Amino acid sequence: MVNEGGGIRAQGVRRAFGIVQAVADVDLVAEPGRVTALIGPNGSGKTTLLLMLAGLLQPDAGSIRIGGFDPVTESYAARSRTGWMPDVFGTWDSLTAREVLTTVAAAYRMDPAAGEARAAELLTLVHLGDLADAPAHVLSRGQKQRLGLARALVHDPEVLLLDEPASGLDPRSRVDLRILVRQLAASGKTVLVSSHVLTELDEMADDAVFISGGRTVATQSVTGATGEAREWRVTALDPAVLTTWLDGAGLTYRTEDGGAVVVRLAGDAAAATLLRDAITADVPVVSLAPAGGVLEQAYLALEEERR
Amino acid sequence: MNVETARGTWSVTWHGLRTVALLELRQRLRSTRWKVALTVWFVAVGGITALTSGALPLYGGGDDAGGMIYTIVVFFVLFLGLLVAPALTAASINGDRNAGTLATLQVTLLTPAEIVFGKLLAAWAAALAFLVVSVPFIVWALLEGGVEPFSIVTTMLMLALVLGVVCAIGLGFSALVSKSSASAVLTYLTIGTLTAVLPVVFGLLVPLTTTQDEVRVWAVPHGFDWAVDERPPECEWRTETEHVWHSERTWWLLAPNPFVVVADAQPLGDPDDQGSPPSGLKDLQYGVRYARTGPSLEMDYCGGLDRAPSPVEEVEPTDAMVWPWGLGLQLLLAGGGVVVAVNRLRIPQRVLPQGTRVA
Ligand SMILES: Nc1ncnc2c1ncn2[C@@H]1O[C@H](COP(=O)(O)OP(=O)(O)OP(=O)(O)O)[C@@H](O)[C@H]1O
Ligand SMILES: [Mg+2]
Repeated sequence: MVNEGGGIRAQGVRRAFGIVQAVADVDLVAEPGRVTALIGPNGSGKTTLLLMLAGLLQPDAGSIRIGGFDPVTESYAARSRTGWMPDVFGTWDSLTAREVLTTVAAAYRMDPAAGEARAAELLTLVHLGDLADAPAHVLSRGQKQRLGLARALVHDPEVLLLDEPASGLDPRSRVDLRILVRQLAASGKTVLVSSHVLTELDEMADDAVFISGGRTVATQSVTGATGEAREWRVTALDPAVLTTWLDGAGLTYRTEDGGAVVVRLAGDAAAATLLRDAITADVPVVSLAPAGGVLEQAYLALEEERR
Repeated sequence: MNVETARGTWSVTWHGLRTVALLELRQRLRSTRWKVALTVWFVAVGGITALTSGALPLYGGGDDAGGMIYTIVVFFVLFLGLLVAPALTAASINGDRNAGTLATLQVTLLTPAEIVFGKLLAAWAAALAFLVVSVPFIVWALLEGGVEPFSIVTTMLMLALVLGVVCAIGLGFSALVSKSSASAVLTYLTIGTLTAVLPVVFGLLVPLTTTQDEVRVWAVPHGFDWAVDERPPECEWRTETEHVWHSERTWWLLAPNPFVVVADAQPLGDPDDQGSPPSGLKDLQYGVRYARTGPSLEMDYCGGLDRAPSPVEEVEPTDAMVWPWGLGLQLLLAGGGVVVAVNRLRIPQRVLPQGTRVA
């Protein structure tokens, strides 16, 4: 899996704006073929980090490799491999959606015929086919966001940097985005996604990098979380029976409003055991499910530590 | 995907240039205000041409008004051009940056030079559109007579170059400061300095550049008694101390003035041709050429009174061309604007202009 030539590798990256240390010390590895989530509170430096990875901002210190190339010294090679979707999407508003894409294709030095074909293909992919020839300024926020995604994909980059791609998207488009991102990863691309919607990242990402105050505070594998301790939510027809049984079984728990009970379990196997024991003991269990996603729990746990 | 050899900051390809220029033109031309602006321009220049060609002959001069009409129309077109050209580029980089579209171009494989020259090309083409609209009226003025037909070639060429220079200066400022209004003001200030401030400085420097010099004068001898002598005096060489204005030390202050460049580039007529009709362009041309030539150290005070022909040589302004220097200075400014813009568009960026975000 580890391929020194591919993916994104950032080490000890720092960047300050005047006295504001936007990125203080970030280590990040995103492997080809995997989706890596970049998670952190507002102002933690995610956008600044992505700008450095996209080769727009120069880091004050640290090293970055995009597909094996340094965006500072080998800018051209790195740029040709990077697709970047900014969080605030500005567009040439007198151009039509199709022209936006063909212009970007020309800017990536594709020949006009290939650019036309690629634009048509991408417009279908992001479901903007019927708006292809409408000027970009009539597009809604979500449609612009989709156009922005298509724009990042024009030159079929091997590394994708998506800054809050899901913001403004309707549920259908979010599902489409998730499927698209998974497809891209499956075809061997490196995808780095920043987002605040953690439940969504849960289903999209393979790995997660948490940053806070401009530092990497944790890295975690999402798919490997089945064996890790986390919280589960149990509901029963009669909460009193459930809590009595839990007291008897010697498990620590906390109750939530509405009678649900949250227990911390060592892993999926522990959850299965708990369910079987509860049913054997005639507790009227209605549901047992992870309380919040893996990432949400990890994020909240980190927040907890910081307080 | 084309993974080619890396291109440097200054590498320019026709493909890249065309991509940026087309993008800019599409962005601009689709707004209807453009048609309005061109129409207003057409009406304004047409009105001035009609008014001058109608009114000037009435003030006397009759058929000789042609040169003056040509002057007024050409200068009016230049004046309007100097007002419009900064607006074409003064927002083209900081405006894009504020709209969030600059970074999207920068991350592509376009080089900074391609982005800058593409934008410059588009703005210049737009400026030339205004010139093209004015061509009928300049031809009309030319047909009023009194101007050498070849003048239209030099005039149009110089007008086009001067507008291109203004576009480049505006582009430089728009890369330098983050507010579009500020870059427009700076561009107008620069144009204003060239057209108004430097000539005023030239005028104010007259006392400083006037010195007491010894000059050889060809003059009537001392003690010549006009009452007694009936024959004209026999003039003689004498050395006298005179106030001499050394305009040859400060003429270059006038050179970069756009009006001077346009006027001086026309073919020089024969200064002794008395039949040559009055023309502001011609007067300006002679003015700056004499300024560059400076005073002669030999002067003829006899004024044709003497019997022998005057040995004092006339100052010949023919070779002392001013416009190459003026245009050269302007092109230096334009080059400066382009260099600043290209450097500001290099990525990755180390410093951001105050108060801006990349995205
Ligand atoms: N150009 C700039 N000049 C000055 N300060 C900046 C600049 N860009 C970012 N910052 C500061 O750097 C810090 C990190 O900003 P950044 O945009 O990277 O955060 P973020 O993690 O993307 O936040 P969000 O989740 O809200 O998008 C913030 O404190 C911000 O104010
Ligand atoms: Mg952000």
